[in-house]
Amino acid sequence: MSAVAVRSGRTGGRRSSPMSWRWSDRLALAAAWLAGLSLCLIAAAIVLYMGYRGIQYLRPGMIFERPQASADQAGSGGFLDPLLGTIVVSAVGIAIALPLAVASAVWITEYGHGGRLSRALARVVESSIEIVAGTPDIVIAIFGLAVFQLPLLAPLSFQAEGGGVFGRSFIAAGAMMSLLALPPLYAATRDGLQAVPAHMREAAFALGKTRITTVRRVLMPSVRSNIATGTTLGISRIVGSTAIVLILLGSTLRIETQGAVPVVNLLRGTGSSLTTYVYENSPAGEGAAPEKAYAAAFVLLVLVLALNVVIERLGRGRRDVISSVI
Amino acid sequence: MLERLKRPWPDHRAERALGAVSLLLGVVIVAMIAFVAVRSWPIFQHNGLRWLGGGGDFEAEIARMNAATAHPTAADYQLRAWPLLYGTLLSTAIAVALGIAIAVLASVFIVELAPRRLSRVVIPVVRLLASVPSVIYGLIGILVLVPFVGNHLVSEGDRRSVLGVVQLTGAGLAPTVAILTVMITPIMIALVCEALEAVPPSWKEGAVALGLNPLRAVRAVTLKAIRPAIVAAAVLATARALGEAVMIQMVSGGKTFAPNLDHGVPVFLFEPLRTLASAILDFREGIGSPSLKAAVYSFSLLLLLSAFVLSVGGYLVKLPLRRHQARA
Amino acid sequence: MHRIRRLSAALTVAGVVAVAAPAAAGATSLVTISGATSSYPLVSLLAAKYVKLHPHKIRFKIAQGGTTVGINDVKAGSVTIADVAQEPTSADAGLDFYPIAKYAICVVTNKANALANLTSAQVSAIFTGKDSSWSQIPGASASGPIEVFTRTSVAGVLTSFKSLLLEGKSVVKSATEEATEGLMRQALESAPGGIGFLSNYQADKGGLNSVSYNGVACNKTTAASGQYAGVSVFFEVTKGPASGGAAAFIHWIDSSGAARKIIASQWVPIG
Repeated sequence: MSAVAVRSGRTGGRRSSPMSWRWSDRLALAAAWLAGLSLCLIAAAIVLYMGYRGIQYLRPGMIFERPQASADQAGSGGFLDPLLGTIVVSAVGIAIALPLAVASAVWITEYGHGGRLSRALARVVESSIEIVAGTPDIVIAIFGLAVFQLPLLAPLSFQAEGGGVFGRSFIAAGAMMSLLALPPLYAATRDGLQAVPAHMREAAFALGKTRITTVRRVLMPSVRSNIATGTTLGISRIVGSTAIVLILLGSTLRIETQGAVPVVNLLRGTGSSLTTYVYENSPAGEGAAPEKAYAAAFVLLVLVLALNVVIERLGRGRRDVISSVI
Repeated sequence: MLERLKRPWPDHRAERALGAVSLLLGVVIVAMIAFVAVRSWPIFQHNGLRWLGGGGDFEAEIARMNAATAHPTAADYQLRAWPLLYGTLLSTAIAVALGIAIAVLASVFIVELAPRRLSRVVIPVVRLLASVPSVIYGLIGILVLVPFVGNHLVSEGDRRSVLGVVQLTGAGLAPTVAILTVMITPIMIALVCEALEAVPPSWKEGAVALGLNPLRAVRAVTLKAIRPAIVAAAVLATARALGEAVMIQMVSGGKTFAPNLDHGVPVFLFEPLRTLASAILDFREGIGSPSLKAAVYSFSLLLLLSAFVLSVGGYLVKLPLRRHQARA
Repeated sequence: MHRIRRLSAALTVAGVVAVAAPAAAGATSLVTISGATSSYPLVSLLAAKYVKLHPHKIRFKIAQGGTTVGINDVKAGSVTIADVAQEPTSADAGLDFYPIAKYAICVVTNKANALANLTSAQVSAIFTGKDSSWSQIPGASASGPIEVFTRTSVAGVLTSFKSLLLEGKSVVKSATEEATEGLMRQALESAPGGIGFLSNYQADKGGLNSVSYNGVACNKTTAASGQYAGVSVFFEVTKGPASGGAAAFIHWIDSSGAARKIIASQWVPIG
């Protein structure tokens, strides 16, 4: 409604032609157009340039070949391991963030209006999530290093022969990534829960259901699409993060498992992600293979764009979609 | 036994369980501040608050920290990190200032001025720019922008004017600020657009009815009404800019140098710099040395505290502005 | 229904344990390495070959960070072996240095700068900042101010460069510091007026101009014959005598023909 009404100043009635405005207004008009169009130009330039370089350097086989640690990086191997690394880290991050975010959102919307204590605690939790949302990922990464290098948590990575805990593994990176995914997941779930009209809850209560059963049977199904949107937002934040992986994933070119127990050894192991692969092959890393960096960056960009499309599809028809970039 | 777990829980148990899980997040925040603060304590212990000031030779101090043994002396903790703070503040301030201007203009364009079909194109464009990973911005920066600045914008005269002081390689303030602005503007546009659309159309129509042209009406009425949103956008963008490590590390030149306005304007923009976040990334491998580890954690503490201050400060600044805000 | 669930849970646990037990019995030893970026290509190749020859017995985790980072890590016990590209000093008491290869440090300029030779006095003057313009250097085709590139303080190549080719002096303060050899290379490739130093492996990769020092070209032949002055050593360093998998690896590098072949491809074997 407001979208149509705001534009009424332009579509309805006689409008004054810009020719009759003061020059400062004409300047502002030109500046606004310039701002909008240059954004489009920059985005087009980025996409086209990355596409051009990607097509130039990406061989389809690269996605399925394992990287070779040869002295001459430019000619050898692909980036299967970094791609798998990205997938594993995202999976671990979402697996940890999802229950936490949904539980918090449910608690705050459904139970956080009780006595003074629960209201105060709800404020604390909301502020905590806001602080986490505002924390730079490099600080989260450093915190992760401090935590996972504790001797207590040595089983979650490995211990070198001199006694120093390595502190870097898939579980370490995944746990910190969950902090990245948590705020968007929480916000999406909370908004979805708040949007459920009160009469649905009241009908359930009238039928004698407890609050928790109402949540499970009535509210959860109706916020499924919100949770899906939030999850995809969280995944796209995780996929795009470089700092956490650089510091917490051990920087080995190939995925290297640690120990013998099947899934656990992957979690304890080290590897790399698409983002660190791009970084390491760029002139900021070892500088030896910008071709590989372009190829991997192209795949990364396509992945992020695909996630964007999914988010848009899931959020179709909702007003808050544009603000979901945050 | 599985049967008992699957039966629906009584409400009070569920409430407590969910509450405990939620409070876990509060615990994480407290743990984060505690861990980082404890590990950065040695720097405060040996320098007091003077470590935030200038006067030392930062690169020499870092070299000394790297060479220090496992039991560092007091002198090994000596640190004067002002160039880092200056680099951080400078790059962030310029990028946010530019970004707000562009974001407001672009949002007015999207919501008020552009034909609807064009708006429908620009909105996904904004979302796209916001979701491009920072390493890709950094890649384009270091492979395209930095050589361009170094080979075509920096003249020999510029290089000669700072001979012996610093070398201009193209990586420095200019590419950093340019890319940083592009990175933070989409976030601001999203917030400002949302706020613009929430302004009741009657406010603007009233101004137009009084004889103002549409753009002037926007300037006089709508922009004032969305001031809290602009503040919120600026705060969010500042937090993002402060925390950007990877992209800045790739294009800022990696030299701890405080760009000096005395060198004249084009040269000032070409000088290299280092920010707190990029320094953490640069020195991440050296944390085997205890004194360097404390230094890195103290940079992190600064970033953490500033993120915290921004959230609180943004909230406080918005309070008085709320009185004039459009209530949808 | 529940019995089936309980049974499948028990079977899963049993299966996991069954797989884990024999695998744990034949556990591979893990050797962690960190340190010099200049010896990283060599050590990676050696480690890869060693793992191929002795599968399932040993695994390597090789990080970089610079010589000093490696030394700090091995002293603190975070890694088993440090890659070091400089000679041991008095601060390294308690560490055992095992030489694995020799390398030459070459003075390098951008490809467009056809500088053929520099005397030791000229190298000193350039890198300490006394000579700041290419016009002061006869034989250089570049013009304008000299852009000096150096390495960060943790680099072993820098320490070796200073003691071997710079008469112990320090590089000028305004020089741009690069964290790795790869970055140094990238910087020199894009700065027409640049000058820096690299190990011969990086310098030989092409795309840069290698400058002779006092009339002697910088390559692995002149390094092997002893003609070239700037020859330093790559060491593998352990805390105390090497033991276990690390000792076997270092011994293999020292004695095996396959290792020698790898070393001789781009570097100079010891002895």
